[in-house]
Amino acid sequence: MASILKAQKANAKDVKGKGKRRADEMEVDEEAVGIVGLSEKKKKNKQRVLLLSSRGVTQRMRHLMMDLEALLPHVKKDSKLDSKSQLHLLPELADLNNCNNALYFEARRHEDLYLWAAKTPNGPSIKMHVQNVHTMDELKLTGNCLKGSRGLLSFDKSFEDTEWGRLTKEVFTQIFGVPSTSRRAKPFIDHILTFSIVDSKIWFRNFQIMEKDPVQPNGPPQTTLVEIGPRFVLTPIRIFEGAFGGATVFSNPEFVTPAATRQLAKRAKGMKYNSRKDADAEAAERREKRRLEEDALGVSKVFG
Amino acid sequence: MAKSSAVISSKKAHALHKSTTGKSGLKSTTKTAGKVKAASPPPEPVEDEDDEDEEEWEDEDEDEEEEDDDDDDEEDDGDDGVDEEGMARLMKLLGDDGLDDIGHAQLDALAGEDEGSEDEDDEENEDESAGEDEEGEKLEAQSGDEAEDSDEGGEEDAEMDEDEDEEAFALDEAESVDEDAVPRQKVEIDNKVVLEQIRETIKLDPSLPWTETLVLSYPHTIDVDVDDDLKRELAFYKQALHSANEARARAAKLNFPFTRPSDYFAEMIKSDAHMERIRVRLLDESAGIKKSELKRKEREGKKFGKQVQVEKIKEREKSKKEMEERLKGLKRKRKDVLDKPSGGGDDDFDIQVEDALADRPAKRGRASNGRGIPRDARDKKYGFGGATRHSKSNTRESTDDFGPGAGRGRGRGGARGGRGASRGGSRGGFGGGRGGRGGASGGRGGGGGRGGSKRLGKSRRMASK
Repeated sequence: MASILKAQKANAKDVKGKGKRRADEMEVDEEAVGIVGLSEKKKKNKQRVLLLSSRGVTQRMRHLMMDLEALLPHVKKDSKLDSKSQLHLLPELADLNNCNNALYFEARRHEDLYLWAAKTPNGPSIKMHVQNVHTMDELKLTGNCLKGSRGLLSFDKSFEDTEWGRLTKEVFTQIFGVPSTSRRAKPFIDHILTFSIVDSKIWFRNFQIMEKDPVQPNGPPQTTLVEIGPRFVLTPIRIFEGAFGGATVFSNPEFVTPAATRQLAKRAKGMKYNSRKDADAEAAERREKRRLEEDALGVSKVFG
Repeated sequence: MAKSSAVISSKKAHALHKSTTGKSGLKSTTKTAGKVKAASPPPEPVEDEDDEDEEEWEDEDEDEEEEDDDDDDEEDDGDDGVDEEGMARLMKLLGDDGLDDIGHAQLDALAGEDEGSEDEDDEENEDESAGEDEEGEKLEAQSGDEAEDSDEGGEEDAEMDEDEDEEAFALDEAESVDEDAVPRQKVEIDNKVVLEQIRETIKLDPSLPWTETLVLSYPHTIDVDVDDDLKRELAFYKQALHSANEARARAAKLNFPFTRPSDYFAEMIKSDAHMERIRVRLLDESAGIKKSELKRKEREGKKFGKQVQVEKIKEREKSKKEMEERLKGLKRKRKDVLDKPSGGGDDDFDIQVEDALADRPAKRGRASNGRGIPRDARDKKYGFGGATRHSKSNTRESTDDFGPGAGRGRGRGGARGGRGASRGGSRGGFGGGRGGRGGASGGRGGGGGRGGSKRLGKSRRMASK
């Protein structure tokens, strides 16, 4: 019990001295902890994330957002953004909410989901395509964790291999890492968010960390993991210099828009009809060619 | 991006040339087509038209130029880097028009980019223009080289160059272009310098303790087949497990609370109702598995069950038959006793029936088999072959003989007969038969011993007559 109290105290200390601050001052601030009179300076990681979506999100996308909101206690959820063309409103909105990060889900055609992850006042922003979404509601994902506990962040080595990967890692660290100062954060760690680059896509998983083996509760402590969810795959499309705009500093040449894929599929389907019609025409032509001219010994002349 | 491309081009224009042609075969073909056209002396009126177009275009874009003046300057610097001599000559020959032309193209590309890719269509246009931009630069570089090589051809080259440029930019101007004619090439933008700068600016203070960020790096890259779900998820699991263990070690070092004590309760991310649903589903799943397993076993049992059943029935029938046979034999054996209920034999019969039913056919088999002595031993003992007639009747010698073997025939016969009676059916055979002459009971035993044959003993036959 003592450990809990200590942890809670530590947490309370973290929270203390946090007022409303302008977003750009929030990054890392140094504050003196003057409770005990020590002149020790402590550095804090302060992040707040604005989470919102565009209009036209489907139920699944909405649930994904809900999951992220539940998972990340430093997230401030806002109402849907009405217009998809006025992204420049977002930095202002984030500023109004005292946020220095933004996660913006942009739904298109009620089926494609794009995710903008941005540092708001000055950028950068990363635009990604979200695929293979599984939310926490799925019964196959059996893990559970404290609401608002700070999750570990694990990035695989591929993030270090490319410059855009390093930048993405930095941005994700700030957005998905729960700061210790977050008000709703719990003092213990019981889940881990993993980001891995496979097939030049970023795969997101969330696991619960179980210290005891459920089969052998009295045995030696063995770490096992159970997936909590959600899970999704992000394909980076572009990285912009500014927040929701600015010059492109990275574009993924491998990205094919989902519309293009659908079009291809449709075209392939259409080709079936075309080829059948072509074959029909060809057959008719051949038949025409094969026809013999009427002569004296024609069938109709002899038997007609 | 245009900046970066300029840098690249200044480094090695030829390499870029190669790479662009390699990237887009279509583009190179359009370019060559343009060249062919230019090579043939262009008709005057056409050129006039082109010039007009150019001017119009210029007017349109002048505003933009003013806006992005800095960029333009940068671009020019970059272009100068391509080939200064050639470029200078080119500029002299072309006058202001030519330069502006190129500048516009690059400007256009830049402008397209600055707008950002809010629409996918925009992206495409931008890509095209960016491609053109590269092409333009490449052409310049080429023409510059050519100009150096031959002073005479310089003018013509310049002319051609202009034409080519016009050809290349005509795509931009045209309102409606056939989609297939325009090569769609996604240009990769990877401005590493800027990316790194940005990262530097947003980077968290490196002196932050680990407990503030809780970020971990997995030291391996995940290299699995993406379509193999099981392997892929296992790789993710391994990554997470490795990181979790590392984090625990680090937390222990920093005296940072990690494990949740068992008496700490707080709201969980999934509600109890949801967890109950998950539990029920898990139970259902395991029950389903058990059920299907049972079904499978049953099905397999059914397959063999039929064989087993048939075998059992056969066995039962066989044993029944055997039992009946045994009883029948017994009845036959004891027929006389049953026929004449003189008494005394009943108990004996009961015992025998019990014996028969006790399922000990081995004993019976042995009895029917005869005694354990082999044939030749028996022959030796009892004799085989030779004259048997009167062999046992008294002769003069035997009558006269008073030795130790005297009176053997009668005395022994009597004794043996008695033994045969006492032993009943279990022995039988010759002794009994021989003894039969000695006494009535002995004869009876002999009949039993012979059991199985329908023919009764001689004495019995006599008796029944």
